[in-house]
Amino acid sequence: MKSPLHTLTIKKVHEGLLNKEFSALELTQACFEHIRKTDPEIKAFLSLREEAASREAERVDLALAKEEEIATLAGIPLAVKDNMNFEGEITTAASKILETHRASYNATVISKLKTEQAVFLGKTNMDDSAMGSSTENSAFQVTKNPHDLTRVPGGSSGGSAAAVASHMAIGGLGSDTGGSIRQPAAFCGVVGLKPTYGTVSRSGLIAMASSLDQIGPITKTAEDAALLFNAIRGKDPLDATSTNPSNEEKYEAELLNPSFDRIKKMRVGLPQEYFIDGLASEVKKGVEEAIQKIKKLGLEVQEISLPHTKYAVPCYYLIVPAEVSSNLARYDGIRWQGTKERVEANTLKERYFQTRGEGFGPEPKRRIILGTFVLSSGYYDAYYDKAQRVRALIKQDFENAFEKVDVILTPVTPTSPFKIGEKVDDPLAMYLEDIFTLPLNLAGLPGLSLPVRNQACEPLSTDLPVGFQLIGKPFHEPDILGLGRLYEETT
Amino acid sequence: MADIIDKKALEHLAELARLKLTLQEETKLLKDLQNILAHFDSLKGLDTSNVAPLTGGTMLQNSFREDEERESTNAGKGVENFPENQQGFLKVPKVFEH
Repeated sequence: MKSPLHTLTIKKVHEGLLNKEFSALELTQACFEHIRKTDPEIKAFLSLREEAASREAERVDLALAKEEEIATLAGIPLAVKDNMNFEGEITTAASKILETHRASYNATVISKLKTEQAVFLGKTNMDDSAMGSSTENSAFQVTKNPHDLTRVPGGSSGGSAAAVASHMAIGGLGSDTGGSIRQPAAFCGVVGLKPTYGTVSRSGLIAMASSLDQIGPITKTAEDAALLFNAIRGKDPLDATSTNPSNEEKYEAELLNPSFDRIKKMRVGLPQEYFIDGLASEVKKGVEEAIQKIKKLGLEVQEISLPHTKYAVPCYYLIVPAEVSSNLARYDGIRWQGTKERVEANTLKERYFQTRGEGFGPEPKRRIILGTFVLSSGYYDAYYDKAQRVRALIKQDFENAFEKVDVILTPVTPTSPFKIGEKVDDPLAMYLEDIFTLPLNLAGLPGLSLPVRNQACEPLSTDLPVGFQLIGKPFHEPDILGLGRLYEETT
Repeated sequence: MADIIDKKALEHLAELARLKLTLQEETKLLKDLQNILAHFDSLKGLDTSNVAPLTGGTMLQNSFREDEERESTNAGKGVENFPENQQGFLKVPKVFEH
């Protein structure tokens, strides 16, 4: 029996469109039909654009009818995290303070995908301003894990991960500051890539912590992640931190057509500090299963050490609030209203206090206050400066390790998906969720979250997914995606 | 450990950050911040005197674009979001009280 259209991968859809097995419009309609059935329960989407998406799909069908060449992403129905500006659409970052904000320009990633003629289904739910690890911090709704509706999908890109895992979208975009792509991908049993800092432009991304934020793909396979990533990456004059890899041609060739002979010669490092006592048994078991499979593929696996790992969480949660407190200073109720109900205020200062008090959720408030504190005179050296020095040590750890190995393999999360409500009132417990993912952001490294067993095709199965993380050298996405593909194809 | 942030300090921070907090929010924040700051204490034992601070995510330097005339892609955009405008200009409450 043929697979239903909405369960296909990017790769399969592209082949199907080229072979005229189905039309882009049929596929888009199949996605919306499935969304209507599934999303009332999952609650992954904040907004849908069925009319506009259908027109986008029709344009692809027209190009195909005229025998025009189409891009790989043409006609692919995508879910976009609601912190990326989409011209003319409400873009909220799931925050009350942006609830009336209609984007006046496209994020660069959206422009690039529009050029490819991708189809945009809608915007997905997330933690308020991308702060959180469960999507429970959304000002609007709680997204459920498609594998167990009583559990969280992870966060902050929980909406995109849940949408892809439950086949409402063929692929999705997320953003990752400390694990916000990789952790929800692991919790939902799909693939998530946090690219090297600087590979993808953040122009039009609602900023959280600018020295750490990166946009990346959430997909059903590692091959799809490579395709979607390739479409959004590249130097952009609108983001001064963006850059191209040093050898663009070779990079792209290896990204799209990895040499498995080369991949099999890579050395894999297991950092002892990531295999701690607190690791849940099901995660430990899953990651060990992945290690055994990778050994069987012929790769050399060795233990390594990243000695400053235990300092990464405090280091990160000092730097992030500092950047948050300055990035979120722009939300003041002046250039747009902020909350739906306009607050009463007679003076400018009063408007600031009222709008920000009403508009920010508890986690943004916590981070703004904490950030204001660690940047304040008298505490700057003890906290913020100290954290920046520790950040240098964490980066140095990785540089030392990459002299011995090519790729590092770790768990993504210390536990499997937790229950809705379980950690929401305990910020410190939520922060510790990111323990294995945030060191990469501090060091600017690429990381791939891959399911130990691919479950994307089994929505609502009762088995909770477990993921593992592959960490690459800077600008070595082809290494981790290539190993990911080899893993998928042989398991 | 001594509580680094007390109620008075929290109120001062909220004033600096232009955040109106309810009494309930203040109570919860105080408790959370004390827990979080206690967790940060572990950094104190680490000697970082010989390490230069890493101030950003990129090693790029002088990331300039060409200095050439170009049309702004965003001219006149965003006005539709203004809560109050007068002839296309943003209208704001009084800045100075007197």
